[in-house]
Amino acid sequence: MKARLYAIAAAGVVAGAGAAWLAAHQPPDRPTEPDAVLTLVVGASLIGCGLASWRSRPENRLGPVMVITGFLWFAGQLSEASAPWLYTFGSAIQYVWAVGLIYLLLSFPSGRLRGRLDRSLIWATAGLFCMQLLAMLYGNKAGIRCPGCPDNLLQVVHDNHKAQAWLNLERLVGGVVIATVITVLVTRWVRSSPAQRRAVAPVLVAGSASLLALVWTVTFDLLGDPLSSLPATVWFYTSATVPIAVLYVFVQRRLARGMVAGLVVELGTQSPSGDLRDALSRALGDPSLELAYWFPAENCYVDGDGRPVALPDAHSARRATFVEHYGQPIAALLHDPVLEHNAELVSSVCAAASLALENERLQAELRARLVELQASRARLVEATDAERRRIERDLHDGTQQRLVSIAMSLGLLESKLPAQAPAQPLVRETREALAVALAELRELTHGINPPLLTERGLAAALDELCRRAALPTRLELSLDRRLPDQVESAAYFVASEALANAAKHSHGSEVRVAAADDGEHLIIEIADDGIGGAATAGGSGLRGLADRVEALGGRFTVSSPPGRGTTLRAEIPCA
Amino acid sequence: MRVALADDAVLLREGLARLLKEAGFEIVGLVGDGDALLELLERTRPDVAIVDIRMPPTHTDEGLRAAKVIRERWPTIGILVLSQHVNTRYALELLSTGTDGVGYLLKERVSDLDELSSSVNRVGQGGSVLDPAVVAELVGRRRQADNPLEQLTEREREVLALMAEGRSNRAIAERLFVTEHTVEKHVKSIFGSLCLPPSSDDHRRVLAVITYLNSQ
Repeated sequence: MKARLYAIAAAGVVAGAGAAWLAAHQPPDRPTEPDAVLTLVVGASLIGCGLASWRSRPENRLGPVMVITGFLWFAGQLSEASAPWLYTFGSAIQYVWAVGLIYLLLSFPSGRLRGRLDRSLIWATAGLFCMQLLAMLYGNKAGIRCPGCPDNLLQVVHDNHKAQAWLNLERLVGGVVIATVITVLVTRWVRSSPAQRRAVAPVLVAGSASLLALVWTVTFDLLGDPLSSLPATVWFYTSATVPIAVLYVFVQRRLARGMVAGLVVELGTQSPSGDLRDALSRALGDPSLELAYWFPAENCYVDGDGRPVALPDAHSARRATFVEHYGQPIAALLHDPVLEHNAELVSSVCAAASLALENERLQAELRARLVELQASRARLVEATDAERRRIERDLHDGTQQRLVSIAMSLGLLESKLPAQAPAQPLVRETREALAVALAELRELTHGINPPLLTERGLAAALDELCRRAALPTRLELSLDRRLPDQVESAAYFVASEALANAAKHSHGSEVRVAAADDGEHLIIEIADDGIGGAATAGGSGLRGLADRVEALGGRFTVSSPPGRGTTLRAEIPCA
Repeated sequence: MRVALADDAVLLREGLARLLKEAGFEIVGLVGDGDALLELLERTRPDVAIVDIRMPPTHTDEGLRAAKVIRERWPTIGILVLSQHVNTRYALELLSTGTDGVGYLLKERVSDLDELSSSVNRVGQGGSVLDPAVVAELVGRRRQADNPLEQLTEREREVLALMAEGRSNRAIAERLFVTEHTVEKHVKSIFGSLCLPPSSDDHRRVLAVITYLNSQ
């Protein structure tokens, strides 16, 4: 590989020397464009940058394309030779190197043409070469202005007008083709992402300058060369910058890999979330970079907040690169497709960041588990509420009904017994004991799920609760809508437990219950005027209330300074 | 006296029908929900409709809603609503439309045949019935020490509760083993303490008493 490149370089030096010699040793009556320096600059730029690119990115065919273009350029300079056959050959292929230049611009950075239009443009440029040959059937190079030129061996008929006509047609068609190429490049630029633009900008700028200069040259040729060789000179110089730009982009990518070292240092000194994405985004040069972390429990990728992330598919405008650590998936980098052309950079960044990514992944997993936990707590509360309603309904429809019907039978039995029957008192006693059992059962079912709460809502249920409270209770309500079941029942049980606590422990004389709906939260506050000092820790009922409220994403606070009463406050989201 | 019965629990419906027959009532029909009850009343026009509060389709307060419709269409039919819960709010909602010929009883209360037949009779004759558990809940509410209700004597509270249950002076006297005259004295004293206008009409005073109890 290396030897082949050196051999090509040596051949390039020989070709360049020859072309420069030809340019420098022109008879004074022949037009010399380009001169020796320009000949060397363009050729050396193409072959040199081509070889460097070839070495740097052997898989990319742009290196070889530039090298071939360089040799074609030098070969075109044979049109300056004195030997007729060299002169004829050089004149025939004088502009073929431009095909390579246009191929370069259209296929950058991958080295592959992207579609039918690109291929047609290349074929059209090649077609211009045929027109050059046709022109040469009729006349010498330019036919008119070349008195000192050697014989044109292709010439069949001497007709300078026809030769000129073919040349003008070649220039016209050439102008159209070049304009199309410029349009294609501009369209591509407009449609590309910021990362893609960054990647192709130098080549596009150099290429556009060169193509515009070419249009300028062709236009002035058609108009009869009022500025002589100036436009062509500009075109040649700008063309020389294209390979340099290509090499610059390739080398810059290699330099970007040097950023990886910087990335490693950066990752060592800081690691809060978000910064990792920024650091990777800088190292990869893709502002749109997103990170997704592997969440094994759910077999999916999640973002930093633990929410599931959809990975781009084949038709998406994004690409995913997967990062593994000891064979285990850690994360996915969602990035611009342009990074696919720089796979080494992406893989070295991934390798450098894998530890930091694993760290982030663990944090994301933790957050995902918290999200999951919160959801499962909420489901638990919901399930508990549903279960309470079911038990209440079952007791109402089953046990209670059955016991009531037994009580009725006993009543009937009692009425059928003679007034003085010895069993009479026993039956009455049984019936009354059953009535007590039924009353207890009623209290129990009411405690499990007060029917009023389900049927009439929180306001009515709180009203009823306060009326039944063991301490005088004042109720302040600012509620004019039904809230979700779990919210209502959490608030109800907070109030119910707080009132029971106040009656049992506060030694107070009065309780105030306030419930208000501010549109986003239900706020319920229960305050007594007792001795305070309520303990929230341990297995107290307050812990259970806090759990219930927090499971719904709410806040539960207890303020109970000794001697200044106890205030319970719950804020439950209900938007 | 002719009675219609609405309850979706067949066991209770049949048991209740048996008890009522035993007590000498004529059962005009047994149905399982509010619509069927209205249809039955349209056909048979009984003296009293006994209605379970929780019935299909929603199993919440269908009985209450049926009662409102019955009041509007057939004001002369007495309504006795049965409930398995002590639901003071529903009881007061029911009585707030007028206490004549309206009653609210816990289901288990009907096992006492005497109590059942006296309640049905009272409702059928335009009187009112409020379950003792509901009244106990109303009277038993904790109030500030300076509330007039807290100033009543134990006996006056007993009389107040029996008034609220819809009982006449004579019934109260029988219940408390005192003379009707003593009951009248208590009633006068209670109305004085609570600053209620004196009322000789047993029916009217029920509403006055429960409204007062509920407002304090």
